[in-house]
Amino acid sequence: MKETILSIPSPLGPPTDLLKFSWEGTPIKETVSIVGGIQGNHLNGIYLCSRLIRFLDAVEAEIEPDYILKGRIQVIPAVNLPAFQEGNRLWSFDDLDMDLAFPGNDQGEVAEQIAAAVYQHTKDSQFGIILNNADNHYEDAPHLVCMNPDSLTKDFARSLGPPNAREPENSPALRLCLYNQWTENRLPSVILSAGKPNHLDRALCETLFAGLVNSLLWTGVLVNKRKKTKKYPVRFNNRNNEKFVFAGAGGFFLLLVQPGSEIKKGQKIGEIVDMYSGTVIDSPLAQSDGYLVTLRDYPVVYQKEVLAVLLKKQKFSFWPF
Amino acid sequence: MESRAIVSYQTPSGQRVEVVKQTFSSVRKRPAKRVAFVSGLHGNELEGIYLCHLLIRYLKNLQRTQPKAFQGEVHIYPAVNPQAISAGSRLWPFFSQDINRQFGGDNGNSLPAQSASELLDDLKSSVDIAVDFHASNLHLKEAPQIRILDGLHKNLLPLAIQCNVDLIWVHPASPMFESTLGYNLNQARVKTLVIETGVGLRLHRKFADQLFQGMLNLLHHTGVLVDTGSLPKIDPPVIAHPSQVALLQSRYAGLFVGHSDLKKNVAKGEVIGEVLSATDGEVLQEVTAPESGFLFTVREHPLVYPGAPLARIALRDEGCP
Repeated sequence: MKETILSIPSPLGPPTDLLKFSWEGTPIKETVSIVGGIQGNHLNGIYLCSRLIRFLDAVEAEIEPDYILKGRIQVIPAVNLPAFQEGNRLWSFDDLDMDLAFPGNDQGEVAEQIAAAVYQHTKDSQFGIILNNADNHYEDAPHLVCMNPDSLTKDFARSLGPPNAREPENSPALRLCLYNQWTENRLPSVILSAGKPNHLDRALCETLFAGLVNSLLWTGVLVNKRKKTKKYPVRFNNRNNEKFVFAGAGGFFLLLVQPGSEIKKGQKIGEIVDMYSGTVIDSPLAQSDGYLVTLRDYPVVYQKEVLAVLLKKQKFSFWPF
Repeated sequence: MESRAIVSYQTPSGQRVEVVKQTFSSVRKRPAKRVAFVSGLHGNELEGIYLCHLLIRYLKNLQRTQPKAFQGEVHIYPAVNPQAISAGSRLWPFFSQDINRQFGGDNGNSLPAQSASELLDDLKSSVDIAVDFHASNLHLKEAPQIRILDGLHKNLLPLAIQCNVDLIWVHPASPMFESTLGYNLNQARVKTLVIETGVGLRLHRKFADQLFQGMLNLLHHTGVLVDTGSLPKIDPPVIAHPSQVALLQSRYAGLFVGHSDLKKNVAKGEVIGEVLSATDGEVLQEVTAPESGFLFTVREHPLVYPGAPLARIALRDEGCP
């Protein structure tokens, strides 16, 4: 079902509509909420939602005969529609970061009303997934973010496919995010981050789509008569396990590695060259072995900026399941 | 006056960006008090930058003519977000980040987060009292006022009444403030007053002159300056607690046309403005004062969506003049 859950008129032009798509099977045991486009330029997540909507419409129409709906699935594909339509991360009218507006206020300004509607429609779900890209100027290897995950959340994370999860520490800014509002409401949830802003990587989205369908099977809201749910290994990394590589100078960053690769301690991740002369002025090195989860994508860098985030290899005392 | 860079980084073109602190030292070994003035966290808020100019000019002259007047220390940080100021934008332009949402806790390693951390550390280590100057955003015009979080007012009101503002607004706490400079300094026991005045990207000389007198009075009141001649003349402010402020919002999308000036006592029912249809010539909403009181906020940006703030009134019937 396609539903307009909020429509805010505009002084001129079309209203800002917030759409929710939902599907229900019987008996309804669980609800899974999937939210994309909190930032207007997180295109992989918005596209993934469209893939999911097409697939679930087909399941509902019995065009995908192996699948049966057994619960409720709801998808809000584009939270920050005004920013999406401008081609920006933020909506230029208020320059407010939508992900610092939760839990929102239904009597407030546009961003607050949208945040309130998204939160109200998702807070009573049993599972939640937020689809993100890397921040501006960066590219993320597919990974999950979950804060203080309990065993249920860890199992949920293991249904999605990416091999790494980051566990951020709480901060004042994080407390204003949708994700934090969900976790405070004891909603087992994860952020799935992959790719870079302003780009749509279809091949990447197809991989992530398979993981999303698997996670719906794992939660039981979707059933496949022939297929068993997969459980993928996930390494959970706390903040101490993240190692940063910084720019020693400003200039052009010419990268030598790719996100998602394993990096050796001392390996050169790129070169920074003077923007006028082309002279190499810095050769940033990895300070430890690790999985390259985030890499600078935009080549213009300031001194002291983060160029790469490595997830340091852990020595498992037991198999990560 | 001594100048020191407390934050420094190189741009992609090799130039250096510095956040500068201007210090006027005390003639005493143990300064009476150490007071800081901070401006430019948001690059489109220029009132504070002008106020810092007035303060530096006055204090330089005083140091030359009456060095013994300095019984305490004054630190002035006139432009703490230099690149946003250069661009005239609220956000740090390259990163589209609000630096005043980067304080406290673990906010990552972005350049704005690093700069915020360095500024906070410098202030915590060098001052007892701070004044953080803000203008409003581009949407609202504010009478000179100090905003104090409910709970901090007992500590801060005695200082705030010395500042020659029209209004002291004790407003409810919200998680949104926990990532601001003012909140984090107060948490660190640096008594910090947050001043809001004027509107983004504009200077209002009368407001600045009024606050300049207030800042000189604060320096005398705290014993930082002595024997400089006659004391600045200041007026007592309106003090409004959370239940004493009425927010007037738009019920429609359209154009707001204000009929009333700031800094004015309005009577119940008085027309403050109108919301007009942008397309069909209709008056959608007549905006009137719900009660008598002091009008301290009026909308400047004519485009409004439903929920947009149009005006704020400190109500007279509960202790206001």
